[in-house]
Amino acid sequence: MRLFLSDYFVLYLSLAYFFALVPFLPTLSNPANLANVLSNMWPLLVVAIGQTFVLTIAGIDLSQGSVVGFTSVVAAMLLATTASPDVLSNAPIWGIILTEEGGPLGHTSFGIPLAILIMILVGAAIGAFNGFAIAQFQMPPFMVTLVTMIVISAFAIFLTQSENIRNLPEQYILLGKGDIVSIYLGAQDESRIPRREIYSLITYPMVIAISVAIVAHLLLNRTVFGKQVFAVGTNRKAAEISGVPVRRIIVLVFTISAVCATIGAILYSTRLEAGRPTLGEGNFLLDVIGATVIGGTSLFGGKGKIIWTVFGVFFFVLLSNTLNLMNLSSFHIDMVKGSVIVAAALLDVWRTRLMREMNA
Amino acid sequence: MRHTKSMIAAGAIAVAGAAATLPGTASAASICFAFQDLETEFWVAGHTAITRTLEEAGHTVIERNANEDANRQLEQVRDCIAQGVDGVIIIPQDGESAVTIVNEAQDNDVPIAVFNRPPSDLSNGIIVVADNASIASQAVDFLAQEAIANRQGDEKLTPLIIVGDLGDPNAIGRKDGFYEAINRYPDDFNTPIEVASEWDAATALANLEAAVTANPDIDLLFTSSDFLFPTIRSVFEPRGMWKQRGEDGHVIMGGLDGDATACQLLKEGYIDATGVQDLYFEAEAALNAILSAIEAGEAQPNEVIEDPGFALTSANLAEREMDMWGCVLLSEGFLDN
Repeated sequence: MRLFLSDYFVLYLSLAYFFALVPFLPTLSNPANLANVLSNMWPLLVVAIGQTFVLTIAGIDLSQGSVVGFTSVVAAMLLATTASPDVLSNAPIWGIILTEEGGPLGHTSFGIPLAILIMILVGAAIGAFNGFAIAQFQMPPFMVTLVTMIVISAFAIFLTQSENIRNLPEQYILLGKGDIVSIYLGAQDESRIPRREIYSLITYPMVIAISVAIVAHLLLNRTVFGKQVFAVGTNRKAAEISGVPVRRIIVLVFTISAVCATIGAILYSTRLEAGRPTLGEGNFLLDVIGATVIGGTSLFGGKGKIIWTVFGVFFFVLLSNTLNLMNLSSFHIDMVKGSVIVAAALLDVWRTRLMREMNA
Repeated sequence: MRHTKSMIAAGAIAVAGAAATLPGTASAASICFAFQDLETEFWVAGHTAITRTLEEAGHTVIERNANEDANRQLEQVRDCIAQGVDGVIIIPQDGESAVTIVNEAQDNDVPIAVFNRPPSDLSNGIIVVADNASIASQAVDFLAQEAIANRQGDEKLTPLIIVGDLGDPNAIGRKDGFYEAINRYPDDFNTPIEVASEWDAATALANLEAAVTANPDIDLLFTSSDFLFPTIRSVFEPRGMWKQRGEDGHVIMGGLDGDATACQLLKEGYIDATGVQDLYFEAEAALNAILSAIEAGEAQPNEVIEDPGFALTSANLAEREMDMWGCVLLSEGFLDN
């Protein structure tokens, strides 16, 4: 029972799942595969951290995927070093922001930090709009963020006429796929080490995601702001009566969510080496919300921890990886993922009820 | 069900055509086949040709469907590499993601072949690609001559092109081929109307309806992919523009791919030409190249294999019908199933 209610329940579950499958899927414990699991985890984690804040105030942010796509385009159109008129000359940004010589910040020394700052401000503005509409006009988060998702996605596609923007600076691409420390586990007397036997150990995405997670953890669990977030999620009316600035908290939480999606956009677009207006479409939102819920963050609000989301994302990515290794079709993989999310939501209901009964 | 049956039909043909010519590897190879989706007849037939031929030759095929998600395809290829596959064949989501995935495989010393949808940068990997510009040009040149021959009066003719996703080099090649042919007759054609499809039937439907409403007097239509013919029909038929050759109001029409629907429409006289990609040649070339590279221990083979293709027209239909993969499928009852 204690294990079931533990903060580390999903981690234990992940480890049990891993060790149960290793005998049947030896590739699972292969260092290259573990490096893949981690590599797939970092961008999803960053976005899921933002969703954790929103779910904790009993909200939901459906616009995260569109923020990922849109901000990836914003950065790419500013940072591209060259652009093809064959592909992009019909885009409204052609000739104004983007030319054959690339974007306005593509060849400047301060271009990358400035472009990142601009894209984060753009993301924050979208999040603040969501929060303002929800807090000020008492509109349901589902409806506001759904509309934002549709509008922002369409605007991103309009800006590039659905084309991707390539030719991003190498230093920018490093943020999504650069290694800081790599390891080789073979014999020392090899004259030439095959590249596929060099594994990423510490990467830029890892450092970025862990930094975001630490900051988010401190913000949610060690500050007055964090306590106010939980108060709003547990009982909004009671929080208002207690003097919690509920509207400000809602605006800030949705802003944090969009900023996390923007940082996720950096990691996703750089690993694909292009700004893509369609990034974050498809099943992306299922992955983000699914991983957060699997971690234990409650869909009913008032309950959420960053460490849970870390474990949830790890389990979710591990699940996807093992389903791939089992050579299941993408349809079966999505069906299994959906079932696991439903099971996690059900588990959340049971855990909450159990904890309430134990505290009574 | 329709896909399954078409796969069986296409597979049988491919096995007969390609298996005998695959290079023999000392041991069975493990090949990861990562495709973006199986939305059109062309991709279904290509998928079947590749998987069936490899399996018949005793190789293991690990299939990965990315459901049109470039990031998912990248992760799937990485998983395949971690599984220790000997080679990778991809049908990428677009030319840009193809570059990233080819580099990923080559960085890990795994030979990779790109089937039909080429990367934006052709310098890395085994790239099997149709000469889209040439095939489109041949088909559109025939359409242009037909339109000029059937012109009534001296007015310039109005051509329309449905363009694909311009992030896909295939779409750019087809558009270039269209313009190359139309520009040969500067005195006969107005500036072409461009309709964006993004390789999406719903987008094509909306944009074509708007274009036809604004320009009802279209004389020539070229679609960058045959899979859009049912969409064109649903726009043209209610407007009385879906007519057979010889009927009053017939719009000279053509496409590119060479699928079964195009073959049937060509036989029935609703369309006049289609550019044909030699799907079975492309599948065989991709398999031969990747298996040869594996056998030779070549980790980063770089080669561009071009499919010259041809145009099947109402004029050469009788002689060249069975050179088109779609007509082969049609003759085996593909559309009846």
